[in-house]
Amino acid sequence: MQGGSSGIGYGLKYQARCISDVKADTDHTSFITGTLSLREENEVHLIRLSSGGTELICEGLFSHPNEIWDLASCPFDQRIFSTVFSTGESYGAAIWQIPELYGQLNSPQLERIASLDAHVGKINRVLWWPSGRHDKLISIDDENLFLWTLDCSKKAAQVQSKQSSGMLHYLSGGAWDPHDINAVATTCESSVQFWDLRTMKKTNAIEHAHIHNANYDMKKNHILVTAEDESGIHIWDTRKPKSPIQELPGHTHWTWAVTCNPEYDGLILSAGTDSTVNLWMAPTSIEDEAISESIAESPAQQADPLLNSYSDYEDSVYGLAWSSREPWIFASLSYDGRVVVESIKPFLSRK
Amino acid sequence: MVERENTRTDDVPLDDKAKRMRDLLSSFYNPDHSSAPKAPSNYENLDAIDSTSFDPDHYMNLLVQQSNLEGLLRRHVEMAAEIKNLDTDLQMLVYENYNKFISATDAIKWMKSNIVGMEANMEQLLDKIMSVQSRSDGVNTSLFEKREHIEKLHRTRNLLRKVQFIYDLPARLAKCIKSEAYADAVKFYIGAMPIFKAYGDSSFQDCKRASEEAVIILVKNLQGKLFSDSESIQARAEAAVLLKQLDFPVDSLQARLLEKLEQSLGDLQLKTVGIENILRESNDPSKQGKAFESIPNTGHEVSVHGFAEAIRAYRVIFPDSESQLIKLAQNLVIKHFEMIEQCVKRRISSANFLGALRTIWTDVLLMDEVLSEAALPDFSLEAGQVTVKKYVASTFTYLLQDISDALLKVNVSPKEAAEEHPLQVALEASKKTVLQGSMDLLLDFRQLLDDNLGLLVKLREFIADWVQEGFQDFFRALDDRFLILSGRKNSTSQDQGFSDGALGEKVLVGTVLEITASFSGGGVQGDENGHAFVSGEICQIFRSVSETLLHHYINMRTQRVSTLLRKRFTTPNWVKHKEPREVHMFVDLFVQELRAVQSEVKQILPEGLIRKHHRSDSNGSGNSSRSNALLDDKMSRSNTQKARSQLLETHLAKLFKQKVEIFTKVEYTQESVETTIVKLCLKSLQEFVRLKTFNRSGFQQIQLDVQFLRTILKENIEVEEAIDFLLDEVIVAASERCLDPVPLENPILEKLVQVKLAKSKERSK
Repeated sequence: MQGGSSGIGYGLKYQARCISDVKADTDHTSFITGTLSLREENEVHLIRLSSGGTELICEGLFSHPNEIWDLASCPFDQRIFSTVFSTGESYGAAIWQIPELYGQLNSPQLERIASLDAHVGKINRVLWWPSGRHDKLISIDDENLFLWTLDCSKKAAQVQSKQSSGMLHYLSGGAWDPHDINAVATTCESSVQFWDLRTMKKTNAIEHAHIHNANYDMKKNHILVTAEDESGIHIWDTRKPKSPIQELPGHTHWTWAVTCNPEYDGLILSAGTDSTVNLWMAPTSIEDEAISESIAESPAQQADPLLNSYSDYEDSVYGLAWSSREPWIFASLSYDGRVVVESIKPFLSRK
Repeated sequence: MVERENTRTDDVPLDDKAKRMRDLLSSFYNPDHSSAPKAPSNYENLDAIDSTSFDPDHYMNLLVQQSNLEGLLRRHVEMAAEIKNLDTDLQMLVYENYNKFISATDAIKWMKSNIVGMEANMEQLLDKIMSVQSRSDGVNTSLFEKREHIEKLHRTRNLLRKVQFIYDLPARLAKCIKSEAYADAVKFYIGAMPIFKAYGDSSFQDCKRASEEAVIILVKNLQGKLFSDSESIQARAEAAVLLKQLDFPVDSLQARLLEKLEQSLGDLQLKTVGIENILRESNDPSKQGKAFESIPNTGHEVSVHGFAEAIRAYRVIFPDSESQLIKLAQNLVIKHFEMIEQCVKRRISSANFLGALRTIWTDVLLMDEVLSEAALPDFSLEAGQVTVKKYVASTFTYLLQDISDALLKVNVSPKEAAEEHPLQVALEASKKTVLQGSMDLLLDFRQLLDDNLGLLVKLREFIADWVQEGFQDFFRALDDRFLILSGRKNSTSQDQGFSDGALGEKVLVGTVLEITASFSGGGVQGDENGHAFVSGEICQIFRSVSETLLHHYINMRTQRVSTLLRKRFTTPNWVKHKEPREVHMFVDLFVQELRAVQSEVKQILPEGLIRKHHRSDSNGSGNSSRSNALLDDKMSRSNTQKARSQLLETHLAKLFKQKVEIFTKVEYTQESVETTIVKLCLKSLQEFVRLKTFNRSGFQQIQLDVQFLRTILKENIEVEEAIDFLLDEVIVAASERCLDPVPLENPILEKLVQVKLAKSKERSK
């Protein structure tokens, strides 16, 4: 694989783990990212890809009170985002609003819309419904799943319902089904669990160990991609939790994050602790059941699913985000605070 | 111009002249001038003098225009000469014609005088012929009556003789039966048949009855003769023919005889079954071959001979019954092959198989002599193909089963195998099974190929093909099975608890490694085959599979360590960690895991070159290894120092340093596998550390653990740069994630490590 020095770089001051696509910004390709520094002043960077696509411009730099473990941009308001942060000893989660800039860049303060302060344990993720405007939020800590009602105008968030994951299930993250407003998948040490938000009951589970990250296919219903420690990447049909549809080798070390392209069918990005980002082509032609079965069993997928491996990173890559505006662009963030935006256009033609 | 003319006349003077002569003559005799002008057309205007369309004025003009005086004069002389010539020729011709005309007139005159006396002679001849005819008519009429009388008398006499014959028939038949001249008897009877048919009910009633009685006796005798085996075949055949002539229902006889034949066939099969049984009982390898050689040569051969004879006889007796016989013979062959197939199912050695095939082939050849129309060799060739194919397939199946049995057996009893190297035993066992098994198989097939049996000679190419195919399939199946085996083991080990899983995993590890090792052997095997064996493909498959398996193994091992680390890092509250008192237990467990890996790997994988040297060193004298350790300690101390004082700097320096390739390709050596596992584990350790937040004590604990780990690792495995780097990275990561990163004082660190070392040494003693 080629080294992939084609990417556009952007350096954060400190280490960082999370980057998110600003989906609501329809005029620009923007990403938002936050640093993870225990002892320094943390920052949130709003980055915009220049119109020529050759440069990354810092559109906003805001100080954030604590180190950021998770960050998610609101899918319907480009100025709103959520963070999960930690002081080292305690955790918190909040919804922030970027103040109107009007050209001034003198590090304005973020406006805290709401604090998701019902948690006791370590908070892992805050989820927005990825498909559009929805006044609900989900936050996941080690043991519980919270459903919040967010009122931006009143600047308040209230717990609507809460469910414990059950004994011995330490939740680590999750994904909200873009096709079903009431379905959420959470990952824990030994399985992926599916929840119905109306009843807050578990509906299904995939028993599989050490899942770091899960991501729903934006285009196709019922397709979930998971990333695991050693065994790489699995693609599941949530209706058939017994065995995966497909298995990709993943990374040399842990596969940390995985994300499906919002536009192109079967394109999957994965980031790993072996300091690489891999671009996969996994043709999961699941238009209907009949085809799905034949495809899953046929050895037709002999072609190497790995399209490219971007290895121009100095450290583990934890952050990964497709641009929803220009779906052939993705941003990756390695632990040393380096954002790299790459275009996958050269590989699209190969499809 | 003149010159050209000259040369032309000079070139063809004779031909030209003769031709002109002939043309002129023909024009003289032939009034049709169509062909004449064609010839001189070649000569253009000047020579067209002979043609009818010759224009003298034009010719003259042309000549006068074109020629000079000299030329004209010469031309004039030439023409004069030519004219003279023509005149003499013409004169000669006229004379000759005249001569011929005179002689023809003479001949006609002579003919006229000769023809006058001919008519009188002719009339005389006619008269004489008329008188001859009238005389012969007279003779004919005078003799006619007498001739008719004679003819009538002759007819009566014949009739009388026939009647006499019929009256004598019974007696004659009886005489014939007595003297066994059946053929004559039948001939007589058949001769008399038409008469009996016409007059049997009236005048010759008695005669008919008597002769029919005689014929019944005759038929009885003939039947007896037909069925008695003691009679010669010739005689029996004759009897059959006679019976047929007597309108006796031969078909039923034929059916009966066929039945008899079938019965004998059944007996034959029973006998052969008996032989097979005997064979099977005497199934110890030393006697196998002999048993098959000796027994069939006596009993079986004889019975087959008998059968062949019977068929021969039958064919002679009933020449039109081939189809039934063919069916019968084919049945026999089919039954034979069925028998063999049954035996094949029960797994027989190739010697036996060969023996059986040989027996069948001799049988077939025997029968072929008798019954060549049945195309038995071809038929048995087909059947043999199927059987041999099945044999090949079943042999491979058995081999596969053997191998997996061997593996499973080892899998079941690794615990009770208190030996030091259960894995090695398992490896050896399965390797041996694979190699030995396929070697034996090859030898067997070689034997099959080398045998000069007609059947097999014809099948040789097919067999070679099948064996190759079989080998490929076999190896592929072996692959699959191994993969399934490892996969299953893996899933169970995941499902079961840690302790239970350990056993399964260990076994699996063994299996996986064994396979890895034996694949190279498998590749060699393919080459040894000597045929156009697609060994390249197979080798490639093996290589990729062994790679997969190796990765699988590494994965499994690192997964276990990962679980260990996960427990270690999720359980305590690192922010409220107490001061480190000793190296944490997880390091011990980690090291233990590594040792296990080492011991497993050592048994199965070859050593790398560098490693060999190093190891012989440390084994040579305990002293030197000790000094090594001390040196390592010093080095590590300096490392810690660096880590302590310049954490950020190292981190920054790292950015400028050339990127250390942590994850390199795994090779099939002990060191490579070990270091890969260690590297993966250390990377996991780093990642786990990054996910936590530590207080000072927590950081110091990590520092201590890593320090100890470094020492232990240096003692145990070849520490490459990447491992050192990773160890540093863990400390860096911990300091980054520490609220108050104050490292442990060096003497304290040293002391704690030494205490731990001493303790572990004590335990090992």
